[in-house]
Amino acid sequence: MRNYIIARILLNIPVILLVMTLVFVATRIGSDYAEKRAAGGLTGSGTFEEAVQQIRRQIGTDKPTFFVSCDFDASPCSWHWDNQYKNFMVNVIQFDFGDSLVTRTTVWSEIERRLPASIELGAIEIFFALIISVPIGIVSAIRQDSLPDYVLRIFAILGQAVPSFYLGVLFLLAASEWLNWIPPLTGTDYKEIWEDPSANLKQMLLPGLAGGLAVGAGIMRLLRSQMLEVLRQDYVRTAWSKGLRERTVVMRHVLKNALIPVVTVVGLLMAGLFSGNIVLETLFGIPGIGPLAVVAMRQTDQPMIYGVVIVAAVGLVFVNLAVDITYALVDPRIRYG
Amino acid sequence: MSFAQERELEGAAVAAPVSGQFFRPQDTPLSVIWKFVRRKPLGAAGLIVVLILTVIGAFAPAMQRYDPETTLVIENPNYDPNSFETEAFSPVIPNLKGDPSTTNWLGTDVGGRDTWARLVWGARRSMGVGVGALVIATVVGTMLGVISAYFGGLLDTTLQRLLDAIQAFPPLLLLILIASTRPPSITNLILALGFIGITQVSRIVRGTVLVTRELPYVEAAKVIGANDLRTMIVHILPNVTAPIIVIFTIGLATVIVAEASLSFLAVAPPGASWGEMLSNGRGVITQTPYIALFSGAAISLAVLGFNLAGDALRDVLDPRLRNRAQ
Repeated sequence: MRNYIIARILLNIPVILLVMTLVFVATRIGSDYAEKRAAGGLTGSGTFEEAVQQIRRQIGTDKPTFFVSCDFDASPCSWHWDNQYKNFMVNVIQFDFGDSLVTRTTVWSEIERRLPASIELGAIEIFFALIISVPIGIVSAIRQDSLPDYVLRIFAILGQAVPSFYLGVLFLLAASEWLNWIPPLTGTDYKEIWEDPSANLKQMLLPGLAGGLAVGAGIMRLLRSQMLEVLRQDYVRTAWSKGLRERTVVMRHVLKNALIPVVTVVGLLMAGLFSGNIVLETLFGIPGIGPLAVVAMRQTDQPMIYGVVIVAAVGLVFVNLAVDITYALVDPRIRYG
Repeated sequence: MSFAQERELEGAAVAAPVSGQFFRPQDTPLSVIWKFVRRKPLGAAGLIVVLILTVIGAFAPAMQRYDPETTLVIENPNYDPNSFETEAFSPVIPNLKGDPSTTNWLGTDVGGRDTWARLVWGARRSMGVGVGALVIATVVGTMLGVISAYFGGLLDTTLQRLLDAIQAFPPLLLLILIASTRPPSITNLILALGFIGITQVSRIVRGTVLVTRELPYVEAAKVIGANDLRTMIVHILPNVTAPIIVIFTIGLATVIVAEASLSFLAVAPPGASWGEMLSNGRGVITQTPYIALFSGAAISLAVLGFNLAGDALRDVLDPRLRNRAQ
């Protein structure tokens, strides 16, 4: 087991380096547009050309892009030690994403401040998704083709189709129409959970439920089909014929094995969940890193955007690492396979 | 995509041979349709929804009753030519946040524009962006998938690790990153969405080709003397059409949601779009809920249609995909 975990962690290193390289390539190849837009927003003396130069110095694009640059007209290729790629990689590994072009604070301090809200929302969504989908999946599978099964399956299919942000809007409408309750909706209302738990949870409730239902619908459908498959196994028939109660058969023999693939899928769903949360956080005024990326995009704040993107992608790599290790813990076949 | 998941996908691809062909060779086109409708009523319903949306999108100019960008006006009830009050000044006022009526079937929005016309043009945008992105994703993804699986070795490993890294990003965030470096335009939006779709397509195509490559008839083709290019195009590619049709259908649902999310966040190029309507409608939801309700319902309906159609097509065309495409 220890060897498996070590191998898994080592495998992550090239992926993370590749993720960083991809972000570098996406932002630095043909970055003229972003630089010029950012320069257009600069107030101060000097010509536009000077403003562009200032932006370039700030984000480091005044240096050669890679280690080697070739000029075919004049001299052959030349070697640059002080290049953009090396500087970018070295800085990012130290969590140094540079300064925001707009707020002038460091990108990492801003992300660090907003990360807890995003993580909390994700955790609440997973919590809702599991407590809703697991019991429903079980009922739907052991009462296959009954009326409850049909109704629950229709809801699951609908839940997969309705985008979480529309569900969020519907919840807002329902809360204000029927409950006369409008939850806090702005970033200024937001309280961290350790400052004021009840205010925090009030703001997190609706987006958590909306995101949780969207994820839960997928989990429920998968769990149901896995349960149906396991229910037909020989050892389940043996369990029945030993005279075990339904409860024991379902909980101990069927559910445990059906949950194994579900664990993997929860990891797989995280990327989609995070995408949905960018919209949900914006909609419900939760100051997570989603709105940070959106605002940075509107203001062409390059360092802020790539900071958020790298932190989110690396975070997801580690979530998947955790999922894989859990998977290996619950299913010995993975470790020795 | 992680190690364990990949193992599972590859396992699923090798196991479970296609049992019981859904269609037989003697089926006529008409009987194929009839069989599909009878055995997969939900899938058929999904296909009909998809078809209707395509027609609405394609004939948007004929479907609209008003121009989607024009502010409509109504008579000013307070009009009084002899008064100098602001609200009595003009004989007509913009019909802001109008309720549904016989002239504006679904009401008007905050800018006094006809909601039905904007919905119709939103359908055109969603379908156009979706199909455009999926065509790019399928063509490039299939090429990468076939080449990667057919040649294997270092090329395969390199490509797969690269795709792993791309899949590590939350898709929407990657879209925002790409969009921030390019001028906003529909073409760039389609390119970015297509780029992100490549990973999904090539992964599933690769899985199918890994199995196909080992079949005796491919070996036979090589023995006869077919070169690599011919083997890939004439012998392997036709075997990949079933999964491609399925991914195309289900992928459209994903792309439509992505486009709606970007428009909702106002980081997509401007124009009538379901996401933008939902975002505008949310601000006035307590006064006139129709705009948000209808545009959100349109997104959900489109996604539902493509999901149902895709699920049914998968069951019919390629049951092996059942465990993979989830």
